Amino acid sequence: MSSETRSPLDVFEAVCSDFYAAAREAAAHGRKIAGFLCSYAPQELAHAAGYMPVRVLGRPGGTPRADELIQPFACSFARSSFDSALADELDFLDLVVFSHTCDTMQNVADLWRRKKPEHNALIVSLPTHTQGTAARAYFRAELQRVRERIEALAGAIDDETLRSSIGLYQRHRNAMNRLYAVRREHPDHLNGRQVLSAVVSSLLMPKEEHLPLLETLVAHVETTPAGDDTGETPVPRVFVAGSVCQNMGFIAAIEEAGCAVVDDDLCMGSRQFCMEYADAADPLDALAEMYLSRRPCPAFHAPGFDPGRHLVEKARTARADGVVFLLTKFCDPWFFDYPHVNQALEDAGIPTLLVEVEQHLPVPEQFRTRIQAFFEMLAAR
Amino acid sequence: MSEKRVRIRSAEKMKEMMTLYYMTAKMAEQEKSPKIAWITSGGPVEILHAAGVIPIYPENHAAMCGTVRMADRLCGVAEDRGYSRDLCSYARSDIGSILSGESPIGGSPKPDFLVCCNNICGTVTKWYQALQRMFNVPLIFIDAPYQYEADRPEALAYMKAQLEEMIQTVGEITGKPIKPDTLTETLLRSEEAVQLWRDIQDLLRHRPAPMNSFDTFIHLAPIVTLRGTPECIDYYKELKAEMEERVRDGVAAVPGEQFRLGWDNLAIWYKVKFLADKFAEHHAALVVSTYTENFCYQAPDRREDDLLWTMAANYLGGYINHGLDYRERELTEMAENFHLDGFVMHSNRSCRAYSFGQYELAQSLERKRGIPTLMIEADQSDTRAWSDEQVATRIDAFMESLAARRVAV
Repeated sequence: MSSETRSPLDVFEAVCSDFYAAAREAAAHGRKIAGFLCSYAPQELAHAAGYMPVRVLGRPGGTPRADELIQPFACSFARSSFDSALADELDFLDLVVFSHTCDTMQNVADLWRRKKPEHNALIVSLPTHTQGTAARAYFRAELQRVRERIEALAGAIDDETLRSSIGLYQRHRNAMNRLYAVRREHPDHLNGRQVLSAVVSSLLMPKEEHLPLLETLVAHVETTPAGDDTGETPVPRVFVAGSVCQNMGFIAAIEEAGCAVVDDDLCMGSRQFCMEYADAADPLDALAEMYLSRRPCPAFHAPGFDPGRHLVEKARTARADGVVFLLTKFCDPWFFDYPHVNQALEDAGIPTLLVEVEQHLPVPEQFRTRIQAFFEMLAAR
Repeated sequence: MSEKRVRIRSAEKMKEMMTLYYMTAKMAEQEKSPKIAWITSGGPVEILHAAGVIPIYPENHAAMCGTVRMADRLCGVAEDRGYSRDLCSYARSDIGSILSGESPIGGSPKPDFLVCCNNICGTVTKWYQALQRMFNVPLIFIDAPYQYEADRPEALAYMKAQLEEMIQTVGEITGKPIKPDTLTETLLRSEEAVQLWRDIQDLLRHRPAPMNSFDTFIHLAPIVTLRGTPECIDYYKELKAEMEERVRDGVAAVPGEQFRLGWDNLAIWYKVKFLADKFAEHHAALVVSTYTENFCYQAPDRREDDLLWTMAANYLGGYINHGLDYRERELTEMAENFHLDGFVMHSNRSCRAYSFGQYELAQSLERKRGIPTLMIEADQSDTRAWSDEQVATRIDAFMESLAARRVAV
């Protein structure tokens, strides 16, 4: 790879090696920081109010403080992110934005609000129903309330600034989708770990700084000539689906086993960018439309959306030879969908592997063994 | 124990009434009329009763599976189909029952449509999506936003709009539009039943309490299933009269009542008797529970001239669709009104929505009010993690600490 593309990826990997360094540095320079815990948080509103939005992630290590407050049957993402707040590791936050999704985060948001009042927890009450005029009107009113709450903390947001934040975020999503498209075509030019580092770093850096780096990377990979791969054994193409997965180790392990990760349906992956621009005179109308018509997270109810059919189509478009489910243990929304989605893939002749993931633990040896066996099965087909 | 616990006479009538209800539903399944809808326990059932649709509660069926200890096996069936063991045991056992045909009552009559209201948890959203795929019937989804602070007017307007839509849709499904007068009558009957259930629970404020929460868990069935019907009112009138008689005669649910406790979360269905006996051994009566209170929730925002608005406010949900500040206030009021010595919290592996926050609530109640809590880690119907000895030891220790507190005071 040439020197000009190495630089964006180097930046991305460096950002991922110390999640909150960029936020802490921005905070030290007087920038207000808004943490968010879900791809449904309307970051554009915080951005337009002058905050630097930054994704709150889990991290390696134990969760003793969270364990005092939530039972062991809460998912590792909830425990780990909450533990980092309780351990004062997130004290650079001026605001933390939750979005209503699953039961676990619903209650953890409330605990967070009580235990860390200095974070000014703001819980966006999204409708669970993503369709219909009633849900749309409700969400529009909720966005107005969210806007007012943020304005009370950070001053008025004018529509022009908000439109420009919406534009910036959408340009970034479009660039990310181009990165995914080129990776599907040339996984040999861009591996899964590199794509994940582009995703995760984009959640941790100011968007205006990440976007030009991302565009440089995309332009470079798009123009890299296809390699001369005659004679090489084709590498099994794997699609990865599941809940939050910021631990690069899992993606790396899949690739170390000999597979190429060609696409994903991960909370820390394509679900961050599956939104299309909506044109509306009122920016809040636009946001309501964009967030409700995006591909739903499994915690939502979108009549007519069949998660099985959807994943089969995604896997086929990516010409995937197999699908690996990386499901965070105790993630109810995903585990309820899993039997149906898995059956749909089986019916379509696409082999699958289910792995339960604990976000805060290192990649278990057993995972490596199972993914190796999965690789061998795919390679033999 | 010197005195034996006295049986509740009305229980027989409830059994008859619930059996008749199931028989009617079974007949309807065979005759293909009237229509049958499966509905969540917090769902707006009055609309179904007003439309002449028979409501069936998978949650009730699952609780029965738990009570007769069939749940483990049925959960296993669902697990073999790929449903994780970490999912709600009601959902697993009910799905397992559909898949295997095994059931304590010969199976629930099949639905013509489904009604899911997420005011009790997000699990039902996913559970009913799975049911819709299994039965391929219409699903009416009522989205009740979780309330962290005072109920928001925009959430109420959203609820009301959805209820209006449901009234329309149910009319379309049955082919007969619901008459506004019929719905009004049903809603008024429902309010009357809810008020009776409220009164009965309030009778437990009396010392000694005439009824135990372990009894109220059982007597919950009609208010969940039949609220809005005349039979439901008749039943609770009878039960109320029996409890008033007990109060008058000084009949105690737990003879020699010395301690009064509150219960939080769903019942542990396969251990109701064990727990009732164990606490009675310590002369402790369970006199109030957030679980049964949830079914006589009456929202603060009532509009006499707009019954649908009041209905929307009620169905926005009670204890479990509200945040921790609300829950703490409720628990504190219960402790005062029912003269509680402490709480028993069932930390329920099946119910994240109900359980996460209990540790914080218990700590707050102790710190701010000096109210102690016994935390029991269990599951509502999956017995596989339960141990009689461990729980008995913890109950003994807790009751000893309550006795010691009393001596200290």
